[in-house]
Amino acid sequence: MIRKIIPVFFLPFFLLLFLQPVHALAKDSFLSIESLTSPGGITFWYVEDRSVPIIAMSFAFKGAGTKNDPEDKQGLVRLASNTMDEGAGDLDSQAFQKALSDHSITLRFDASRDNFSGTLRTLKKNQDKAYALLTLALTSPRFDPAPLDRMKNANLARIKTSMAEPDWISARLVNDLAYENEPYALNSGGTLSSLPRITPADLKAYHKDYITKDRLVIGLTGDLSKKEAEEAVDRIFAQLPKTGAPKTGSDFTMKNPSITALYKKDIPQTLVHIVLPGIRQDDPDYYPFLVMNQIFGSGGFGSRLMEEVREKRGLTYGIYSNLSRMDHTQTFNISASTRNDQYEEMMRLVKKEMLKIKSTPVSDKELKDAKAYLTGSFPLSLSSTAQIASVLLGLQLDHLPINYLDHRTENINAVTKDDIMRIAARILKEDTLLTVLVGAPENVKTDKIIEVLPNVN
Amino acid sequence: MFRFLFLCSALLLLSCPAHAETVFNAKHFTLENGMDVVLIENHRVPIITHMIWYKVGAADEPSGQSGIAHFLEHLMFKGSGDLKPGEFSKTISALGGRDNAFTSQDYTAYFQMIAAEHLETVMKMEAGRMNGLKPPLSEVESEHKVVIEERRQNIENNPRRHFFETMQAALFPNHPYGTPVIGWMSEMQAMTWEQAYAFYDKWYAPNNAILVVSGDVTLEELKPLAEKIYGVLPRENVPVRKRNIIPPLKGEIKLTFESEDIHQRTITRMYRVPSHRTENRTDSLALELLTEILGGDSTTRLYKKLVVEDAKAATIQLSYDPASYDDSTLWLHATPLDNVSAEELEAAIDEILTDFIKKGPTEQELTEAQNRMENAAIFARDSVTGPAMAFGYTLATGGTIDDVEYWPDQIKLITTEQIQNVAERFLDPAQKGDGHMVTGYMFPKTTTNHKNSKNREAQ
Repeated sequence: MIRKIIPVFFLPFFLLLFLQPVHALAKDSFLSIESLTSPGGITFWYVEDRSVPIIAMSFAFKGAGTKNDPEDKQGLVRLASNTMDEGAGDLDSQAFQKALSDHSITLRFDASRDNFSGTLRTLKKNQDKAYALLTLALTSPRFDPAPLDRMKNANLARIKTSMAEPDWISARLVNDLAYENEPYALNSGGTLSSLPRITPADLKAYHKDYITKDRLVIGLTGDLSKKEAEEAVDRIFAQLPKTGAPKTGSDFTMKNPSITALYKKDIPQTLVHIVLPGIRQDDPDYYPFLVMNQIFGSGGFGSRLMEEVREKRGLTYGIYSNLSRMDHTQTFNISASTRNDQYEEMMRLVKKEMLKIKSTPVSDKELKDAKAYLTGSFPLSLSSTAQIASVLLGLQLDHLPINYLDHRTENINAVTKDDIMRIAARILKEDTLLTVLVGAPENVKTDKIIEVLPNVN
Repeated sequence: MFRFLFLCSALLLLSCPAHAETVFNAKHFTLENGMDVVLIENHRVPIITHMIWYKVGAADEPSGQSGIAHFLEHLMFKGSGDLKPGEFSKTISALGGRDNAFTSQDYTAYFQMIAAEHLETVMKMEAGRMNGLKPPLSEVESEHKVVIEERRQNIENNPRRHFFETMQAALFPNHPYGTPVIGWMSEMQAMTWEQAYAFYDKWYAPNNAILVVSGDVTLEELKPLAEKIYGVLPRENVPVRKRNIIPPLKGEIKLTFESEDIHQRTITRMYRVPSHRTENRTDSLALELLTEILGGDSTTRLYKKLVVEDAKAATIQLSYDPASYDDSTLWLHATPLDNVSAEELEAAIDEILTDFIKKGPTEQELTEAQNRMENAAIFARDSVTGPAMAFGYTLATGGTIDDVEYWPDQIKLITTEQIQNVAERFLDPAQKGDGHMVTGYMFPKTTTNHKNSKNREAQ
């Protein structure tokens, strides 16, 4: 189901701090990860951790994400994730939810563009019930019309509520332009017209085709032994079909470089979102990229963008750069908001910093500090059972070896100033920015004025 | 994002404190200068969360200086002791840590998450800015612009948040909670370094601060460090917090926001209710249970009746945060389905409330809610920063360590009658006329020639 939609008022930037992306950081392994194969033949990653009487599992079906939505049924996979815990087997929606609630079991399904994923968290004392409910949800979801309607209504309300939010508007434009004519361009949360078209039969077909063992990846941790872990995995997943729909999708490079697009809105600030082609995780220059980005804009305070735009001049509350990695394309993003009349100056500063990091070696201190942060902060994302499960899943989704964390530090420490200039020159092409603006910026030359939001209606 | 306002504390950051016996087994001591120290040991990973909570927030600002508590929080990163502007965060980052701070109406907190071996370094830096704040004026100027951009970004760019701010102002007349933590724009623009320093000088002192450390450190290790680093700071005279009283009001307060930027009708109610400090403590515990029983999840009363059975609402939420120095707010937020009028949905909500007041919760509802909350307390232990937050906001708003540690036991003692009683006193639809509740309606405004009219559907 869709949990509470928190009123926007409550949205804390705070959460960003705690929900670090899995692939962000790493240090030496006090995480002793084991790859196990169950008697039923399912391989998964496991960490024993008896700190608290809790068990957490993160799993995903690779390539089963929202990129599979038909254009006229955008939001189908998201709705599948909203409804898979809304009744299964003999339990209708309320009975299923009540069973979760009475045992304090957290079961959640999610859909990213690439993957369909789930998390299960339970007290050890309720583990049997938790496994039974997850098994039911995965193998015999009901997709009853009534709960499906409720989830559609909640999504429609979410979309209409979000239409007041500049950052949501910006995301619609960025997706549409950067991924033009590709499945990623669609609205994974559905549109006002597509959601009503989706039927229980659509969800059942999706479930049959995509919730299959050949796509399955699992991370399991907490208060359970290897044997218990293997039994749990077999119990939950063994009955799933071996295969389903063929894998689809092909790689592409970001679209619409060198375009400035504006959605006019009468608000005091302009939201700026800059997009450039990014870099793959398996690229030989991936580690140089990580260090370069830490220095350039992903590091918050101390990074050059934040120093120049916020700390020295007070032009913004925050400016950040980040890499978005998906299966078929990668983008490098810079985003910030600034008062409408300061837009031009902010863009000038961003371009100046791009040029600078390409042409002048970073300082010794910058290099040292960036490496220290990237290597030293990883343990901060291992402080709960659910976080550990999430790390186990994330490493596998990134196709990383089980000893990855052991080598990450040395790979980062090997990066040189020349490496940084090389990767900066490759990524930070200030003449080919896709720039998406929401607001009423002054002194802007636009190539495109967007009148109607794409993939909303 | 950095140095943000802390708009809502307990609700999102961790489920809840507590469980039978003690929940976290925290250790507590007080330094000679009056500074309280709380330690929650957790040796799972060699990291710590280190937090300093000052028992002062936006509600303690002088009249006409709204935003100064939060501005000061930003300036605390701009040079102190031996640290140059910005050096605090850069040092933490270069040690592989993260730091941040937040301001609420009642407290201002600074925290770092970092490898346990750096605890002493972090403590020294934090102690250094308790007395030694000295940002250069140029930095004060640029940071002044930053907080103004922060208000533009978080409030003025976003009509919904701007409306919630207006509702809050209506709910707390003559009381500082009616003034936003970030400040009113006109007063923010007039803020000065002298005002910020005066606020710092008046309120920032060891005897008005709480040190909370959670993670991989023992009491034997922490205590001598705390004595050596924080214990040497001099005790200061700190005023008693004094806030204006909300006068008795007449009339039902309803605000309507009709705008072309709004595309979804919503109904939001804010009820002014007791916090854990303002009335009998059992009132706030009963309100926590009431919130759980009526709005805990999709199987509890409001959702079950309004979304599942009667299909009147697309969403319904209820939330309540007991950790507040003065009265707190209980939120109800509902989205009517397109074929249901706001009046119809409100009438249905009121019917549920009236029935609840008349009959109270069932014993089964109470037991199930208590069990969920007891389990939530076990999950709360599965975190390093979560427990530190729980102690911080509880103590900084007038609660005690036992309030956190024995929360499940206290919850278990609450009866159906006590819950019925708080429902009747604070949520009774028949009592809407006494101004303890504000209802806010957001409605789309349809125009014929606006450029976006295609995006909007008829309501």
